[in-house]
Amino acid sequence: MTDFDVIVIGAGPAGLAASLAAEKKGKRVLLVERAARMGGILNQCIHDGFGLIRFGEKLSGCEYANRYINEVRASKVEVSLLTFVTRIEKKDDIFHITLVSRSGIRIVTSTALVLSTGCRERTAKQVSIQGTRPAGVFTAGSAQYYLNILGEMPAKKCVILGSGDIGLIMARRLTLEGAEVIGVYEVKPTPSGLTRNIAQCLDDFDVPLHVSHTVTRLYGESRLTAVEIAQVDEKMRPIAGTEQIVECDTLILSVGLIPENELAETLDIELDPKTKGPVCDQNYETSQVGVFVCGNALHVNDLVDYVSESGDVAGSAAADYCGRKRELVDIIAGKDFAYAVPEKLDVNSEASKTVVFFRSRDVRDKTEVDVLVNGESVYKRKFMKLKPPEMERIVVDFSRVKVGDRISLEMWEA
Amino acid sequence: MVKEIICIVCPNGCSLRTEKNDGEVTVTGNKCPKGEEYAKSELLCPQRTLTSTVATAFSEHPVLPVRITGAIPKGEIKIAMLEINKIIVDTKLKCGDVIVKNFMNLGVDLVATDDVDIY
Amino acid sequence: MNVDKINKKLKENGFTDFSVRESPEGLVLEGESSNWNDIVNAGFCTAKKFGKIHVINDARYTGDEIPPMRRPELNDKAIDGLYPDVLVIGGGIVGASIARELMKWDLDVLLVEKEYDLALGASGRNDGCVHPGIDLVKGSLKQKYNLAGNRMFDRITIELDVDFDRCGQSVAFDSEKLLPLMHLSKIYFRLMGLGKVRVFNQKQLHAFEPAVREELKCGMFFPTGGIVCPYNLTIAYGENAVDNGAKLSLNTAVLGMEIEGNEIISVNTNRGTVYPKVVVNAAGVFAENIAKMAHDRFYSIHPRKGTNTILDKKTARFVNTSYTLRGGEVKKEGNTKGGGIVRTIDNNVLVGPDAVETYKKEDFTTEDKNIAAVFEKQSKATEKISRGDTITYFSGVRAPTFEEDFIVEKGRKIRNIVHAAGIQSPGITAAPAIALDISKMCVELLSECGEKVLRNSKFNPKRHGIPRVARLSDKERSALISQNPDYGEIVCRCEEISRGEIIDALNRSVPCDTVDGVKKRCRPGMGRCQGGFCGPNVAKIISEQKNIPLENVCKGDDKSGLLFGRSKGGDRND
Repeated sequence: MTDFDVIVIGAGPAGLAASLAAEKKGKRVLLVERAARMGGILNQCIHDGFGLIRFGEKLSGCEYANRYINEVRASKVEVSLLTFVTRIEKKDDIFHITLVSRSGIRIVTSTALVLSTGCRERTAKQVSIQGTRPAGVFTAGSAQYYLNILGEMPAKKCVILGSGDIGLIMARRLTLEGAEVIGVYEVKPTPSGLTRNIAQCLDDFDVPLHVSHTVTRLYGESRLTAVEIAQVDEKMRPIAGTEQIVECDTLILSVGLIPENELAETLDIELDPKTKGPVCDQNYETSQVGVFVCGNALHVNDLVDYVSESGDVAGSAAADYCGRKRELVDIIAGKDFAYAVPEKLDVNSEASKTVVFFRSRDVRDKTEVDVLVNGESVYKRKFMKLKPPEMERIVVDFSRVKVGDRISLEMWEA
Repeated sequence: MVKEIICIVCPNGCSLRTEKNDGEVTVTGNKCPKGEEYAKSELLCPQRTLTSTVATAFSEHPVLPVRITGAIPKGEIKIAMLEINKIIVDTKLKCGDVIVKNFMNLGVDLVATDDVDIY
Repeated sequence: MNVDKINKKLKENGFTDFSVRESPEGLVLEGESSNWNDIVNAGFCTAKKFGKIHVINDARYTGDEIPPMRRPELNDKAIDGLYPDVLVIGGGIVGASIARELMKWDLDVLLVEKEYDLALGASGRNDGCVHPGIDLVKGSLKQKYNLAGNRMFDRITIELDVDFDRCGQSVAFDSEKLLPLMHLSKIYFRLMGLGKVRVFNQKQLHAFEPAVREELKCGMFFPTGGIVCPYNLTIAYGENAVDNGAKLSLNTAVLGMEIEGNEIISVNTNRGTVYPKVVVNAAGVFAENIAKMAHDRFYSIHPRKGTNTILDKKTARFVNTSYTLRGGEVKKEGNTKGGGIVRTIDNNVLVGPDAVETYKKEDFTTEDKNIAAVFEKQSKATEKISRGDTITYFSGVRAPTFEEDFIVEKGRKIRNIVHAAGIQSPGITAAPAIALDISKMCVELLSECGEKVLRNSKFNPKRHGIPRVARLSDKERSALISQNPDYGEIVCRCEEISRGEIIDALNRSVPCDTVDGVKKRCRPGMGRCQGGFCGPNVAKIISEQKNIPLENVCKGDDKSGLLFGRSKGGDRND
């Protein structure tokens, strides 16, 4: 007998949904969170636009989180806050999880495990910015935490590198709070964030966006005094002679998110090099049976609504998990896809409504996405526009797929 | 006056070319009627929602996230921020509690979007 | 020394803009150039490998303005009027270890450092290798102190409660032709006291370090090599010195000295004037400047920058020891001489450093091309290192003399100064042994003028470091958390550092109130997210512990504030 049927690690939107889904199936659930409160990064997302799909309303991040937090509080889910998972071991098909908290060390067991550990931000050093190492270089998420949680201004006059959504949101937040945002610089030839964020966060405040530009160097011994900005070529390498010095006291980086899978790695879970998250089937079960993954730990989502959805799927699948034998078929995304999730289909499991998320590799007009089983189309959909920053969701019926079949995703000009 | 705006109604992100003459707006570049609608409201009376934080009297929770309950004219946003910055919350509000009723006489309320007592 | 011969050599080597003259202090290099490398190379051309005569570089660099020393803005009288027995200038590994060694005597010791913390120069910016001392010139001070220092490391690190791993050092070669020579040198190294030095054939090499490239043919292993965290060792020395009564004054730059006859009377700093009986010059890249102030300049320092890259912990499983590639076709290649791949004491992998001559003594900037060159070179040893796994990179500036040897001796013209100068690699390894000799010299100088210097019977060599909670067994960890629940609250998720450890770092005998100071002492922010998550929480803990507003918390020096004040709050904004 295990202590819990399901242990969920991480109480962000994915973990909240997963623990509720498992609890609704009558399971004993433990939700572990390292911060002092549930909600994860949503707590610092005070802007609105969350929940349009789930709740048909535009909520702020905290409001969206609070809906789930209140539901979890009212449920039988046991929540352990300020608790850190230091070790996961699997012995005789049972997970032994070591938890450290202010009350000491606790080892708990469970039948199934859900990893909803979110993602982290890429740093200045990971995008090879050179020069000095001054104060005033923040990831967008850290700057957001300082401003929205601690109520402190991280910048007076700043440059933002990367047009990811958090970067764009921070451009607006900082401007509204009285800082000067000199510009947003994006190394790619197209913006990384959602179009509506470019319109409402940059255009509204006359913040210029410079694509095909990057920050190459930092100046300032103590606090940042300036950055060097250069134009880049088609391979995103700085072009000599295009450098310009822009004076600023702060550089904010929104240069990409990486799923956090350090715990998954300790369990030897296979990762997808494209998503940087675990390879999984339609129930979000990973290569390690009994371990499920959801939210941004699986792949970086643009909408929290989809994060919650993946939590539902992973949580209820974890609740149903009974060590059943899986039979997996690969889902192979063609070269025009940046990635597709899931990467596998378990043919022994319900497959009539398989949700497939994907991103295109490039910006494309009028495209038909075709899902093929053994070369025969089982699903087609036309898209007026596909952009890498905008994740697409399709629902495909794979109920007739058998072991040995080949599933592939292709896209062509429509 | 000619102005280029990007439509944000759907992911197509059409580049809309707008022209305003004597209060009449003409729109080209839109692939659907929603684009025209969007462009007209943007040119004639752009509306925005606003989220921010207000200071609290509680050191463990120095700021409280807030928002206004509906869109207000874009031109009022700056003044609204100045008003919001003056507020100090000294009661333990809950998510959804109204901080200022009929904020700046704009017909919207300023509400808390989180609890002061979060733990 | 025949100066004409040197001048002829300079001419022959094309250094026509330079000349050398003999002075009572040494060989004075004169001339000018707009190319710094010309000056450095003329210095090398002038230098004699052995002996007590050093190159004094008076050649004028006309290319660029040489930046002045960074100095604290602070001006107060915190140490004004102190009469220490010994004033140690420089809070690097050399100065800190000397201060601690001096505390074994009943002496009044003052250690001054111009930066806000210890180990901010080369001591905090190197690869942390404790070298076996294999490739040093026989009879050099480098070799002497390397061998002696290496032997002291087990005891010192136990006393100071600093992690040390004698994992050994390996060298891989790409040519089998070297094998017979290696077998000969093995005997020599063993006789030198380097323990069970081993020679590997190709199979043995790959069994020992599986990540080295297949085409590498043979190698050697030196069991006395090791790794240590160089800044933690420096801080530990400093803390133990202070615990035993040494005074430490940070943010204190030496600005001048009053000399009378052959004696330093007083030393002027931005925090007041002090009147030491003996001065120790451990000022690193600025040792020559201190020597000049003391009217005892008989050597020159030419700064040499090196850049290291730290890779994610997941790479560490490929590296058993620290290793380098030598020989065969891989020769000294411009600026990338030396360096290697090191598994650090905290289980990251460090790649580097390179070596670039510079006229800027405090140029800690990094350059993409230098890092790329280091990776290109080190990739010849293994393909397992990738810039894609980079966590961070940093530069340090070494402080070599033109003779490329250490200077560990009493003043030549000035009676009451001792120099520990020109200390570069293997400075970390050598420091414990250098400290022993320098402290003896100080005691001799004090005794010479009639002081009776007694042993400090109260000296306590033991220091207790900050507990590394994540490394404890479950039982020990539980016990610690029940004593203090802060040890159970993880703040830095990448490195698994608790609030308790951070609070400890802020409350030790060497003061620390900065984000970088905390990071060095107990590692929050050292991991793959580089403080993205824990940064704000660490800042908050500093603010609470030190009772200062958040906006006054600094990353490093007092001009490196993180924040600009509260965003909200009506009159609280003012």
